[in-house]
Amino acid sequence: MIRWADERLGSSKWSRSAMRKIFPDHWSFLLGEIALFTFVILLLTGIFLTFFFRPDQSDVVYLGPYAPLHGHTVSAAFASVLKLSFEVKLGLLMRQMHHWAALVFVAAIVVHMSRVFFTGAFRRPREVNWLVGINLIILALLMGFTGYSLPDDLLSGIGLRIANAIVLSIPFIGPRAAFLVFGGEFPTHDIISRLFVLHVMLIPWILMGLIGLHLAILYAQKHTQFRGPGKTENNVVGKAFFPYQVLKSTGLMILTGAVIALLGGLVQINPVWSYGPYDPSLATVPSQPDWYMGWLEGTIRMFPAFEPTIFGVTIPTSLLVPAVILPGIVFTVLAMWPWIERRITGDTAEHNLLDTPRDAPLRTAFGVAGLTFMTIYMLAGGNDVFASMFNINVEAMTWAFRVSFFVLPPLAGYVAYRMANELNDTGKHPFRPSKGIVLKRNPEGGFE
Amino acid sequence: MKANSRLVVVSFAISMLASLGWIVVYIIDAGLLWEGITLGLALGGLGFGIVLWADRLLDAPEESEERHSLASTPEQNEAFEETLGEGVGAVSRRKILGGTLAGAAGLFGAALVAPLFSLGPGPNGQLRTTKWYKGARLVNYDGKPVKPTDLPTESIITVFPEGNVESGDSQAVLIRVDPQDLALPTDRMSWTQQGCIVYSKVCTHAGCPVSLYRSDSAQLVCPCHQSTFDVLTGANVVFGPAGRPLPQLPLALDNEGYLIAQGDFPGTVGPSYWDIHHSEGSSS
Amino acid sequence: MTRLLGTRALGPRVAMALALTLVLVLSIVLWLGSPGARGQSSPQSKSSGYDPALVSRGEQLFIANCASCHGASGGGTSAGPPLIDVGAAAADFMLRTGRMPAANSKDQALRRDPAYSEGKIRALTAFVASLDDGPGIPTVDLAGSDLGRGEELFLQNCAPCHGSTGVGGTVGNVLAPGLKASEPVDVAEAVIIGPGQMPAFAFDQSQRDDLAAFVKHLQGSTGPGGADIGAVGPVPEGFVAWGIGLGVVIFVLFLIGRSHVKPEGEVEAGHEG
Repeated sequence: MIRWADERLGSSKWSRSAMRKIFPDHWSFLLGEIALFTFVILLLTGIFLTFFFRPDQSDVVYLGPYAPLHGHTVSAAFASVLKLSFEVKLGLLMRQMHHWAALVFVAAIVVHMSRVFFTGAFRRPREVNWLVGINLIILALLMGFTGYSLPDDLLSGIGLRIANAIVLSIPFIGPRAAFLVFGGEFPTHDIISRLFVLHVMLIPWILMGLIGLHLAILYAQKHTQFRGPGKTENNVVGKAFFPYQVLKSTGLMILTGAVIALLGGLVQINPVWSYGPYDPSLATVPSQPDWYMGWLEGTIRMFPAFEPTIFGVTIPTSLLVPAVILPGIVFTVLAMWPWIERRITGDTAEHNLLDTPRDAPLRTAFGVAGLTFMTIYMLAGGNDVFASMFNINVEAMTWAFRVSFFVLPPLAGYVAYRMANELNDTGKHPFRPSKGIVLKRNPEGGFE
Repeated sequence: MKANSRLVVVSFAISMLASLGWIVVYIIDAGLLWEGITLGLALGGLGFGIVLWADRLLDAPEESEERHSLASTPEQNEAFEETLGEGVGAVSRRKILGGTLAGAAGLFGAALVAPLFSLGPGPNGQLRTTKWYKGARLVNYDGKPVKPTDLPTESIITVFPEGNVESGDSQAVLIRVDPQDLALPTDRMSWTQQGCIVYSKVCTHAGCPVSLYRSDSAQLVCPCHQSTFDVLTGANVVFGPAGRPLPQLPLALDNEGYLIAQGDFPGTVGPSYWDIHHSEGSSS
Repeated sequence: MTRLLGTRALGPRVAMALALTLVLVLSIVLWLGSPGARGQSSPQSKSSGYDPALVSRGEQLFIANCASCHGASGGGTSAGPPLIDVGAAAADFMLRTGRMPAANSKDQALRRDPAYSEGKIRALTAFVASLDDGPGIPTVDLAGSDLGRGEELFLQNCAPCHGSTGVGGTVGNVLAPGLKASEPVDVAEAVIIGPGQMPAFAFDQSQRDDLAAFVKHLQGSTGPGGADIGAVGPVPEGFVAWGIGLGVVIFVLFLIGRSHVKPEGEVEAGHEG
């Protein structure tokens, strides 16, 4: 068997070297794998869904078992999702698993990206992989948006209307671009099928290719490692790929699947039957996008009314700035970060050993400030939910968020900076009790 | 060691039972809850067992491997540059051929943009008009025309131009207030009828339907980003990110007493864009 | 007939008169009770429909408890609006849902336990109804209501403020309360009177019945997808995805990240960083 494959593919040589490859064994190095595993779950559940979903916006009369919508005229797309949820065995489980996996997918990417950022793993020679990663998160966000808009329900349809307005707000090309993307004046009967093509074919192919590239670069360059006894810039210390890492990763993938399965069966997500089919004259509250779009929703909500007309050109700043310019800046800064940091620190050396957050106080400060910004705006996107939950005035909350946008990220960054420096100086962790020092017994019987 | 391997075996056993359970649940159609529980346990038992095995039972010592710089030797780099130069030179040496190749490829590349424009028509003024026209009756969702007396004071309904209940940009809100409370600009008082006033339902911020209404304060609120419009003074923005007031529809009564429109909205309906002010009549 | 009533105790003419009165009263009661009686639009209550003793008891209670804000004869003060033509529907709604008496005139009145007994509420309602013509207490008949029509009406008129799942929401700085505790007659009364910042709606009887039926449907068990985590959409879904979805997996990672292989001579290495 082995020889059969080897005669045709030369597999024995590279298989063995792959099996013997060393990967460092730290829990935080598996965060990217969680993203990979949820992606696999998305693929598998997604393929199932694709057999039943109809990307067709023509009117049909719903005659299925969900009583409140029985006899209503809805789009074929919406009707197919209702059928999937109520008439196809395992349909609702697959749908809910798919959507939970999508939320966890982006969360895992964010945590993985944060780990890479705070440990400086993006430094030379890994800048290319960092850029691949930035592309991956952007594509993941697009997958999420196109995906939850497919059922053509009231909540996601409202999101499409906002997306249309955002495209409209682009100076000079806005209206033309919006008509191109949607196939006419909103609402059109083309948009769902176009989103379907993006979600099921175009973007997944690009994603899979980039994930392959991401892993290939990692494989070739070997994984980074934390400082420690026996670890240098020129070696990699860890455990062999086969069987340890393979077993562990496979087990983790299956465990991730277990969590998603439990969520899919026990906790309701995106109940499109409650929202009803999309109608541009109807609304439901509260209306938010999925969590990873929450920061954009928050920046849009918090932005003050300001729409100047300069030389006859209206600039819809209240959409353009928070929804086009700001994310453009965020992703550009993120993408360019390895070079920005290089400029600031003057460090152009190759690094295979990782920093801990305290080793690079400025980087840590920026990272903490950025995460604080994202968190504030994500919460701001849900301002009406929190207002009704805690009985706070929405308008007061809006002003509080507007102020905190300017105050909290720099403050958090400064606190992180000080903490990192303090840790460097004293070696004492502010939250953990002192562990004492590690004693090592040398062969002669003494201590070092 | 013994305890660990027993744990792994138990884990796998649970998984086996749960997998069988999943099949049974499927056949008897036990419902979502049991589908999720059995699948979760089947995967969980399997995954947990494998992870435990790898972590506690496998003898995987820590090893070290040398890193080799991926960079090629200077000789290899030079050889590459030489080969590249030779190949590129073979084309670039022939100036006229190379130049026309570049021109042909470049122009064709630019022409490839053309299919993109098949995706949709140009705006062609569609953003500036709705289905409202002079004499159009206001109808509700059921297509029935409306008289002012049909509505109690402090009420709100959604209206469309007759025959266009499906229209995506013509939806409007008809609100009845006490006429004495109205504080519109004088030329717009004639646009109301017995306290009935109509505004576009498409938010001027991002196009969401402005459906929420505070009847005591007479304010419309948009659910998406909380833009708030004051009904009595002409739907001016009093809170939130919207940049323009909601356009007001001029109303009249037909000879049967039903509400009709005097024409299309005088301003542009919906979100702003760069040349929104170009063909506007009176107010924006 | 006379034999039935006892010819000795009551004379035949008296017996006849009694029987006729009985029949008359029965038919009036039946007529008033039937759904079709009040016609298509909001029911009008006539002040003469209430027992004068009840009205006067109501007046006493009103003066003692309500007049300080609403004026001695319901004419209103700076602290409370006039109640002249609000009708029995408004009084019944406000009192039964505990919104009135309000804690103060500034805060939004929200549902609480009723402050008065049923008898007192009936008396106060009778008094308010007697002030002038206003909408009477509507009847609701859920039998034969159309859930599909109710869903449509709810999405068109109620969902923007109360949410498509009826959990409530905010309208700027005003709360649109959740509908989990609303009785069918509460729904009917609310759409007629438009309490507080809520607008009024011109629904007919069957539309109100359909709406009430749909609200009742919303109060049913949690959704077919499992625990509805508040039924307010993606916000709690995001928290669950992070807390449970990612949280459990990272917790597992953390647990297994410890190296259980001990190189010679060293204390068990914890996780680094």
